[in-house]
Amino acid sequence: MSYYDIDAILTDAEKIPCTFQLDVPDLGYLDNAPTQPLKAGTKVNLPLWLAEMLAIANTGDPEGRSFVTFDLPSALGNDVIQALKADPRAVPLRDQSPHFYGLATHMMDLVSEDKLPEVVRNTFVTRAAEVALHARKLGGVGSRGRTAAEEGSNLGFGGAGEEFLRGLDEWERKLFRKAHDGAKSGKEWMENIRKH
Amino acid sequence: MALPLPPGLTHAEVAFLAEMELVTVIPRQRLDSIDLLGGKTPPLRPPHRADLPLWLALLLKKQRRANILPPAWLHPASLADIIHAETKINPQAFSDPPPPPSRADPSRPGLARRQQGAGGNINNNNDDDDDGVYSGGLILSAPFRPSCTADAPAGYLPYHWLEVAEQLLAHAGDDVAAALGGGGTAASASSASSATILGEVRGLLRDLVEVRAAKLRSSTAALGSFGGGIMSLRGVGAMELAETRGFVLGVVDGVRKLGASVETARREAEEEGMDEGGDGESDEEMGF
Repeated sequence: MSYYDIDAILTDAEKIPCTFQLDVPDLGYLDNAPTQPLKAGTKVNLPLWLAEMLAIANTGDPEGRSFVTFDLPSALGNDVIQALKADPRAVPLRDQSPHFYGLATHMMDLVSEDKLPEVVRNTFVTRAAEVALHARKLGGVGSRGRTAAEEGSNLGFGGAGEEFLRGLDEWERKLFRKAHDGAKSGKEWMENIRKH
Repeated sequence: MALPLPPGLTHAEVAFLAEMELVTVIPRQRLDSIDLLGGKTPPLRPPHRADLPLWLALLLKKQRRANILPPAWLHPASLADIIHAETKINPQAFSDPPPPPSRADPSRPGLARRQQGAGGNINNNNDDDDDGVYSGGLILSAPFRPSCTADAPAGYLPYHWLEVAEQLLAHAGDDVAAALGGGGTAASASSASSATILGEVRGLLRDLVEVRAAKLRSSTAALGSFGGGIMSLRGVGAMELAETRGFVLGVVDGVRKLGASVETARREAEEEGMDEGGDGESDEEMGF
């Protein structure tokens, strides 16, 4: 993860639900009350980078409380995880978060959850195979020798896969691009042979 | 980031390397040995077969100075066998690469000896007139292995199978059809039957490409569970590697990132466990 990686920066901007443990003066604007101090127990959605900092920062509190505690964001909530367990391909991850896997890796670093890593990993691998399948089919790569009409649509995303491809998160989109580039250059090479 | 090219070889580079594969030609004209960077080519004398690099063979073919003899694995029956093996017999693995060239060992009847590295006295040419510069001597990996010549074994796909097959079909289609069509020469084979044979070979190759591409895709599923995660790429061709390299690397990298936190947690737990274990032992010792 490079310093200039735009996806890493955007992943850091994902909001996660936090609960303040301490009263913080002059932070009331986070809770739409600019003149009030921020009370302990207030729930606020904070970007990941800020939540992380506040959670691990030293507050000097005698009871050792940190500023905030945070929960898993809704993208990694119980119902999403259950749905992913049932069928990884049926969940449009992009609707949960455009940087689903980035967020998941971050959260797994911060929270130790037993099942989460396994489910996320299984999801990634299962969906990757599906991504590769669609990447090969698109643009008529898999339909050499057949006409465009027989293969369905060769223009843009075809038929049944469209729904799935819209639900890809950023990691999966990169994978899709790589797989598609490979298949495409293979097809170009194949056509070039005939010419020379 | 600085390099626009993806890691690994592009298709054009792989195809270029594949042109170094040796194929068997039946020359129509005499041609003296040519001194190339890779060594001398065997001199061509019309009725005798000779092994030439693919690029030179295609050049001679285009000038009608030679006919190319396709390798045995390009025969429709061989391709059908391979497809059968890939789909029915062992749907998980790729079909085996060709075995290293071997020859019966005269001192031990019934046994064969690998020719690789067996010394310089081996000459596996069909034609005794050959100098044995390309064949004979040390036999290494592709493209230095004569796996696309006429005497290559049927039923095994060499490393550059797709490239060589496509090149031969595109530029020496009549020779391929004549050789595979039951012994007739290119002139005597009727155009209709040669077209059907070529169509059959092309169809089988397409099937094979699709079957193996599907396997490469699904082989990444082995990474799904922890502890698993080794994909065997034995028998995968160069062109298939070039095509799927980006995808497979992407999947492996993604799995690595997703597993990083678990891995660190496991290591820490292991170290703590070792520490505690050490403490426990010392405590017990103290107790005793």
